[in-house]
Amino acid sequence: MRALRWLLVPLLVVPVTWLLFQGFGRDPREVASPLLDRAAPSWTLTTLDGETLSSADLAGRPYLVNFWASWCIPACVDEHPVLAAAHERHGDELAIVGVLYQDDPADAEGFLARYGDAGYPHLVDPDGRLAIDFGVTGPPETFFVDADGLVRYRQFGPLTDARMADLLGLVLPVAAR
Amino acid sequence: MIPTIGHVAVLVGLALSAYAIVVFVLAGRSGDPRLVVSGRRAVIGSFVMAGIGCAAMMISLLTHDFSVLYVAENNATTTPPFISAISLWAALEGSILFWALLATGWAALVLWRHRDRHRRLMPWVGATLASVNLFFFAVMTWPGNPFTRTDPVALQGLGPNALLQNHPFMALHPPLLYLGYTGLAVPFAFGIAALVTRRLDTDWLRIVRRWTIVPWIFLTLGIVAGAWWSYEVLGWGGYWAWDPVENAALLPWLTATAFVHSAMVAERRGGLRIWTNALVIATFVLTLVGTFLTRSGIVASVHSFTQSAIGPWFLGGIVVAMAISLTLLAWRLPELSGGGRPSGLVSRESAFLLNNVLFLGITFAVLFGTLLPLIVTVTSGETISVGAPWYNAVTVPMFVALLFLMGVGPALPWGAASWATLRERFTVPLIAAALVVVAALLLGLQAAGSLGTLGLAVFVAAIMLDEVRRGAGARARGRGEDPATATWRLATRNRRRYGGYAVHLGVLVMAVGVAVSSGLAVDRTVTLSPGESAEIGAYRITHERLVVEPLPDDPRVIETRAEVTYAGPQSGSLGTALRDYPNSSTSIATPAVRTSLGEDLYVTLLASDAASQTVTLHLFVNPLVVWIWIGGALVGVAAVFAIWPEPRTRRVTADEPMRTAAPASVEGA
Amino acid sequence: MRRWLPVVALGLVIAVAGIVVTLVTAGAPPTDGERAATLAAELRCPDCQGLSVADSPTASAREIRRQIDELVAGGATDDEVRAHFVARYGEWIRLAPSSAALWLTPFAVVLAGVVLLGAWLVRRRPRATAAVGATVTEAQRRAVHEEAEALDA
Repeated sequence: MRALRWLLVPLLVVPVTWLLFQGFGRDPREVASPLLDRAAPSWTLTTLDGETLSSADLAGRPYLVNFWASWCIPACVDEHPVLAAAHERHGDELAIVGVLYQDDPADAEGFLARYGDAGYPHLVDPDGRLAIDFGVTGPPETFFVDADGLVRYRQFGPLTDARMADLLGLVLPVAAR
Repeated sequence: MIPTIGHVAVLVGLALSAYAIVVFVLAGRSGDPRLVVSGRRAVIGSFVMAGIGCAAMMISLLTHDFSVLYVAENNATTTPPFISAISLWAALEGSILFWALLATGWAALVLWRHRDRHRRLMPWVGATLASVNLFFFAVMTWPGNPFTRTDPVALQGLGPNALLQNHPFMALHPPLLYLGYTGLAVPFAFGIAALVTRRLDTDWLRIVRRWTIVPWIFLTLGIVAGAWWSYEVLGWGGYWAWDPVENAALLPWLTATAFVHSAMVAERRGGLRIWTNALVIATFVLTLVGTFLTRSGIVASVHSFTQSAIGPWFLGGIVVAMAISLTLLAWRLPELSGGGRPSGLVSRESAFLLNNVLFLGITFAVLFGTLLPLIVTVTSGETISVGAPWYNAVTVPMFVALLFLMGVGPALPWGAASWATLRERFTVPLIAAALVVVAALLLGLQAAGSLGTLGLAVFVAAIMLDEVRRGAGARARGRGEDPATATWRLATRNRRRYGGYAVHLGVLVMAVGVAVSSGLAVDRTVTLSPGESAEIGAYRITHERLVVEPLPDDPRVIETRAEVTYAGPQSGSLGTALRDYPNSSTSIATPAVRTSLGEDLYVTLLASDAASQTVTLHLFVNPLVVWIWIGGALVGVAAVFAIWPEPRTRRVTADEPMRTAAPASVEGA
Repeated sequence: MRRWLPVVALGLVIAVAGIVVTLVTAGAPPTDGERAATLAAELRCPDCQGLSVADSPTASAREIRRQIDELVAGGATDDEVRAHFVARYGEWIRLAPSSAALWLTPFAVVLAGVVLLGAWLVRRRPRATAAVGATVTEAQRRAVHEEAEALDA
């Protein structure tokens, strides 16, 4: 019985250490998305160029929805060329749509003028309704949607070339990768 | 040059702390007083080194020396001197340097103050404190060097965090809090020393109580200052959001308060040696855990920093501290258990111990809530939130029960209470409380929470008044003093008890302030063009104009200010603004608060349109908020009174007979 | 007369408690505005640090509050409103976990503590002393004891 007191030490120290240790390497602000393997929200919005675009126009193709803002520095600046490169390489079978997150269209145009416009459309989301429908907590966030319209992945934070290559594998048909 | 001096000072401090540990351990085992002196000098030396380090950092900040990475990240040429100086603790590495200064300061103070006493304990106290200091110097030497240089040197720095520049309290809140945190290492050191030397007696309790209350005062004031600061600066109208960094400060406060109470029971009745020691250990471990949680980046908080190499070091420190102290506790467990005079189910002891159960319950709830998101994510991959609704629902009932005990506990006798005692002590206060609640109800106050707190406050206050009356009355009768003198003399000769009552009174004031301000606050959001008005509570707010201009002291900052006049119980004008700092992507709100004893008028600017000069304002009327701060200050002052050394009793000579109630028989003697 | 005082006191307290409880529970059902405000206090602002949608000034908080108002006006129940946002953000958007077990855990801990404390006190209860010399009555002993307490530190 008296020897049981020694259990006190590992019993308290080990679980606490293990738990706190597990916290390393995770971003505490990253939230699991309930949209995974579900149909992506549908929308009809105006682009920066003034045209109307809707999710129905993208049916049948895989596409990325990238939420960004001109004030989101340096993360959005860092991932901008990654998205441009993906558009360049896979533009035929993959559609990319940018969405302004709590941003002024004039500021967004300035950003594109400065860092380069890759040519894919950018939606203006004036009330933030689309951001709420996708459950966005802050830019940059990118949603990977496959050809059947299901969300396969939500990238939290900026994309890198390596990450993009891995994630595209989830939505593009085998031949095109 | 100066940063190099600072860095070298840190290294010397590291060496001195290591030396002190060795010397103190040897002194503890051999009893050689010269080793103790040597160790004490080494600790004082490490304090001087930490001072040099802080001075070097401050000079670098004031001279805008961007060759130091910390300065480049937290300072700019346009930063005003006051802000530069307080940037010492603005970010991670600097705050650890400041922490080391305070920790070595406490260690030096303790060792110097007790240099001729407690010869068995002090070497181990010194060894423990020197180990804590070693840890912080080590963090500054390896993962978190505050004097890291940059190459090439930038011409302009990033400037201080916008939120930290907005309010003079930045100078007050962190130092107070850190003095509290670092000071709580001292009772821990005494706890370890007692476990090692097996000297856990009333003497030990008395010393540790003193050395717990002083940092406790700083911690209390630091927490209240933090709440006041976030109320005045953050703009959402509240003062406590149960953010992990707030919880981190609250956790050690709860266990330290529990300790102070159970220490009184232990001192009076003996026993409880394991419990009091465990509380002292838990308090220190919680200061480390709290600091770790907010500085490691594993929990999201308004205060969190990105994950750096410092996190794992802190975790290591926690593991070592827990392992050593728990091993010592387990080792001495058989010798510590038992003892103490038994007490009844209803007695002062049981009230104090029930208070401990509640404090520990709240501690568990707060820790559980803070760690739960991490636990859930790690075990299931899901993400959940634990926020104010949960914390409030869980802790408020426990705090209310504590308020009740706060009134009842000191009025119960030690040992056992009979029904007659209970009837005599609590009947009148109960009636008084019920009458006041009925009166308030009839006067229109209907919120249940506020009514309940009011009734409880009257109950507790009535009991306290009765205690004071009874004691002062007995004294006045015995010595022929008038009531006022009797009360004052009674209080100053029993500082522990009456200081304790005054602390409880301060807590009551805070509790009423919190209950009424959260239950009866009103708010609304309005959009106004120039000349338009809106009503809130008893006030009428009129928007006059919108002004956009750079700040006079720091022209890089652009302020968008709504100038507004208000009329009602207070009248005047105020400006509430949004400030755009160059290194921040979002605007920082600068709410305007007009405080009076009855209520606060609180106005935040949410949005504005320069073209039409319209503004969207969030208006609040928060009743009795100022009493929270007043109550907090009262707690601090009263606690200082409680531990202030009592005046030495005068020797009564034969010339001064003590007057009795019946002098008649003395006449003819 | 004094003996009745505690009973009167207890009666008064119970009466007052009863009045308060009736006031609170017999209130009118909450208006749409009140429901929307309560729901807004339960939902977390997505781009803040732990603030509720009710307290937050950000644009996304404003939009969520607008959507809450719209849903409530359109006849949705409280659960349906919560489900609407949980479908988009996950359980994370709710400021308090929905599992009842998690709400009860801290109270269970306190209850366990109270029970343990009670057991510990009972085991160590002072033994009843045999009646010693009848020169000092129990009442006198108690009076002295309490008078000393009143003067004690």
